[in-house]
Order: sequence, then structure tokens, then C-alpha cells
Amino acid sequence: MPNKTVSLRIDGELVTAPEGQTILEAASANQKHIPTLCYLKGLSAVGACRVCMVELAGTERLLPSCTTPIQEGMSIKTRSAKLTLYRRMAVELLLVERNHICSSCVSNGHCELQSLASSLGVTHVRYSYNNPRLPVDMTHSRFVLDHNRCILCTRCVRVCAEVEGANVWEIASRGIHARVVSDLKDDWGHAHNCTGCGKCVQACPTGALAEKGFAVHEMVKQSEAVTRLALQRSGTTPSAV
Amino acid sequence: MQSVADDVLNAREKVQIDQAIVTHRNRPGALLGILEEVQSANAHKYLSLAALRYIAEETGVPASRVYSTATFFALFSLDPQGDNLICVCRGTACHTRGSRDLLGKLCLDLGLSNNEVGDTGDADKLALTTADRKFTIRTVACFGQCALAPVVEVNHHILSHVNERTLQREVKALGQGGK
Repeated sequence: MPNKTVSLRIDGELVTAPEGQTILEAASANQKHIPTLCYLKGLSAVGACRVCMVELAGTERLLPSCTTPIQEGMSIKTRSAKLTLYRRMAVELLLVERNHICSSCVSNGHCELQSLASSLGVTHVRYSYNNPRLPVDMTHSRFVLDHNRCILCTRCVRVCAEVEGANVWEIASRGIHARVVSDLKDDWGHAHNCTGCGKCVQACPTGALAEKGFAVHEMVKQSEAVTRLALQRSGTTPSAV
Repeated sequence: MQSVADDVLNAREKVQIDQAIVTHRNRPGALLGILEEVQSANAHKYLSLAALRYIAEETGVPASRVYSTATFFALFSLDPQGDNLICVCRGTACHTRGSRDLLGKLCLDLGLSNNEVGDTGDADKLALTTADRKFTIRTVACFGQCALAPVVEVNHHILSHVNERTLQREVKALGQGGK
């Protein structure tokens, strides 16, 4: 198979990457770090969180790097004052939407939202908190779903559909009313399709999905394991060749 | 909020759903068509959870996706709707010509909770049904009839340049003359 390559500039540096890659893939292959949240390697990209936005020379618009394919001659900026501003805003808006109170969260210290916020220098939020009181689903024998921590990144939806093939999760409703639901908004414990594999828990970047029996600070997720499984399944790791 | 009807489907409803599935089989986007047909065939113009579950089982579409689709579109209702459907347009043109007041007045007249309107009056999906199941009030983003603003749709008929008096008269006529 002829592998066409594309040349582009990332932060001024000339790089070549195989055609069909996204900006994010090309950047990470060349040790350029772009912060991400809803993206998880191995799963399809949805561009939901708007944290991985990059600047493209010649356009005012910011582009989500996880879903934008590279093109010949592109000149990409992965860091700038403008990008930091927008990335901060995206994280702040995620923080105000529900109750992300780290001190009482199982994922405190191991949370991607938390570490992203601190790496972007978000020390406070400029908007008023929504403070909704959302239910916590404790019906599953091993896992728990806390809607208050959910950022609707849909990693659980994608990992369940694409890797496990069970399609337990989906997003119901829209806008501010959007929620992750299992089956027909059934309790998780009664979801017919759920195999209890726990991949959604491992993929979840926050404390929204967690294993039972962990106290504050204790839930360490293994999203790399999900990536490894996903890549093995699609046959793109060396071990599968 | 599960009503009794949610638990079981009768034979007639099952046949209706089966027919809807057969007509849309092997078409892209079949689920939307099926949901639409099943809802309009229902006596209370809604999709019960039992119906959604049956659709998922029969089509092989994951239940979560059926639920997601049914809740995403404002067209679908998961709660029984009233005999008369009143849609108040909350588009910009209608808003500037007082559709919020119309909506508030309508809710007052029908004894529906007004503070819900206050909170979510601008939300894309508002559906309130009176306790006697005679009226359902919905808000719509825009009918595309902005020159006729404010617009209210009553049982799929567009009323133009509506004011509180004409709307009140219309509702009264429906309440008496209708079912």
C-alpha cells in the first residue's frame, strides 16, 4: 500500500506525517503536546470538549485537532495566548456546569479534568456555578455513576459501543438537560446489555464513573489499558501483526 | 413517571409497531421514521417506554440509542399528550411581538405551572399537559412564519398575529366544542 505523506508545520517545525492522520496524531507523533479531554487514543474522536483547539495560519477559526485531518502545507500553532484563553474558558465552562468539587471526589488527584485545569492555570472560574442536584446511580453491583461529575465527553459511550460492543451508554436529551443514560434510562444495575466489564469506568476522565469501595482520592483510572485493548482489537498494535 | 400503560403493549400496538418497522426496513435512518409513525399511531401521541423497548428488540438497535434519539428530537414525546396540541412559537420575531406573554397567559388560563415557563420558557423543549389531558402546550423554536408573528399553532393550524384575546377564544372553543 503506497503511503502518501503530507508535510506541514507544527509550531514552526517542519514535520511529515502519513495522509489521513489528524492534527493531533501528527503532533503527538512529533512530540508536540496538545491538551485533550474527550479524546482517548483507540476510540473514535468526537471533538466535544474543545480543549484540543489549535490555530491554523490563514484562518481566524480555531480547529479541534482531534477531528481535523492534516493537509499539505498547513501551518499549525499548538500553543499561544489565544489558545490558552479559549482552552481555559472551555474547562471553566465544564467546571461550572455540574458539581466538580474535588475534595469530595473519588478521583481527586487522578482526574483528567482536574489535572487539565491545573496545567492550564485555572485557579478559579469566572462564571456562576449551575449547582444542579443530580442523581447518583448506585444500582450496579460493582460500579457507580455520579451524574454530578459527568462532563459528557462520551468516552464511556464510545468505549462501550466500539470496544465492548454492548452499546449500554448513550446521551439522552440535549443541551443543559443532556445526561448519560444506560438503555432506556434504566438503572445501570438493570441494563440488559451491560457485561460489567468496567471499560467505561476506566475510560472516564473524571469521577463520574467509578468502582465501588473507593474513598476520596483512591480511584485510579487506567485509560491506557482501554487504549491498548482498543488498538489490539482493531489490529493496529505490533503484537497483533 | 411511569404510567400504567408503560408496562405492557397490547396486541394492536404491537402490530402497529411491527408494521412501522416493516415499512422502514433497510432504509438509512429507519429509526426516526419508525418512531414518528409509532407516536402518531398512539392514542395519546406519545412513545411509551414499552413501545421503545419493543422497537429496540425488534429492530436490533441498541435500547440506549432508541432512547437517545427519542429524547433528542423535540417532536417526540415520552409522556402522554393532551387531545389538543398548542404550539407557541418562541422564535425571535414572535418573542419581540410578545410570545412570552402569550405563553404565560395560556399557562395561567389552563392552570399550568407558570414558574416552569419562567425557568425554561426559552428552552427548546417545553411540553406541559393539563391534568385532564385536554391540552398540551409546547414551545417551538420557529415556524418560519415570522411575518405573521406572533404565531401559535393549534392542532396543526397556524394562527397568525395572535393576541391574548384571540388565543383565549380559541382555547375556549376547543375546550367546549372538542372532546
